[in-house]
Amino acid sequence: MLETPLAIIAEITHRCPLHCAYCSNPLQMASPASELSTRDWEAVFEQSAELGVLHVHLSGGEPLAREDLTQLVNSAHSCGLYTNLITSGIGLSAQRLEVLVKAGLDHIQLSFQDSREDNANWIAGARAHARKLEIAPLIRKSGLAFTVNMVVHRQNLSSLDEMIALAESLMPERLEIAHVQYYGWAWKNLDALLPTREQVLTSLETIAAAQKRLAGKMRIDAVVPDYYARFPKACMGGWGRRQLLIDPAGRTLPCHAATVIPGLCFENVREPLWSGFGRSPRAFRNFAVRTGCRNLVEVAIAVRTTSAVAAVRPS
Amino acid sequence: MPDLNDAAGRAWLRVCRWAGNAGNRTLLFPEGALRLPQTARAIHELCDGKRTFGHIVQELRSTYIASDPVRIRQDAIAFLERLRNKRLVDF
Repeated sequence: MLETPLAIIAEITHRCPLHCAYCSNPLQMASPASELSTRDWEAVFEQSAELGVLHVHLSGGEPLAREDLTQLVNSAHSCGLYTNLITSGIGLSAQRLEVLVKAGLDHIQLSFQDSREDNANWIAGARAHARKLEIAPLIRKSGLAFTVNMVVHRQNLSSLDEMIALAESLMPERLEIAHVQYYGWAWKNLDALLPTREQVLTSLETIAAAQKRLAGKMRIDAVVPDYYARFPKACMGGWGRRQLLIDPAGRTLPCHAATVIPGLCFENVREPLWSGFGRSPRAFRNFAVRTGCRNLVEVAIAVRTTSAVAAVRPS
Repeated sequence: MPDLNDAAGRAWLRVCRWAGNAGNRTLLFPEGALRLPQTARAIHELCDGKRTFGHIVQELRSTYIASDPVRIRQDAIAFLERLRNKRLVDF
């Protein structure tokens, strides 16, 4: 029997107004027609809570693209789950925010692509930055827990100080500085995104100084990239240990990238005999796969090509 | 950020909420959860937006009457500083 993870990442849609070159979604995205229904997700939340899951991260794509988002928030909240919306902010208005707060939303994580508008919009493949700046004060005023998420890589690490200053001005409780994780579209664009070792080391110093300076004012969590560590870190804290991901079509995955591993099949929450992910689903019975995961990343690093890559974006 | 002392204002529980039943109370907050031992929970539950740090220490001293009052204050400072750094409590 595996321990129950702390959280589920509910990828409720892969639709998104942004087209970030580092998107964690798989290259083969789930079509809108394949998305789980409202009732399917409600059942997932109910069963997750029964199994002991505490958090749900409503993610995407852009979760605001789902018209039933309020109902989903309400359902997760009613099950006692701490409910987090991971969003680009595009599609959020003062009215929609108010409705989501009333539905029981606990936390919003708003992403930024850079502090500089031109580069931010270029990375996002959309004119989104100005809208994010408009929406951030509304989130702050709403009383929800507020995290600003800055995704960093080769193309924006030079403005990390400015990005931290921007986050500070938006007054979230928490800033997440997340180095790109190299799967999905980010893997495809590895050579355009992977920072140099020097950039990574400098960023760690910058982050440590900011953590010290802002202690008690803004908590800063940092996610580092694998490639300059001695060993790859445990992806998402370990194969299905802390979090599980349910994709828009209902597949229960131990991490974002699991579907690329050959020979595995994953249970779908639509299946009538879905056993619930704490209760020996097929993929999770295979403990050997957990230990194989590190090897897989090492092999992937070894075979990666060094050819120049122009940004390939999700459409 | 100044050290916590008796001049600190009212203690507010922020960005987190309790879950679970009485025997298994868990504090939920962004990206985390804490199962607090009884004394830590007692301190946290006093952060209700009405009590100041001084009030909290007074109340703990009257509850844990057999314990060293100086130690109670030191422990309360250490614990609340940690929570403040996580932005779970504000003063």
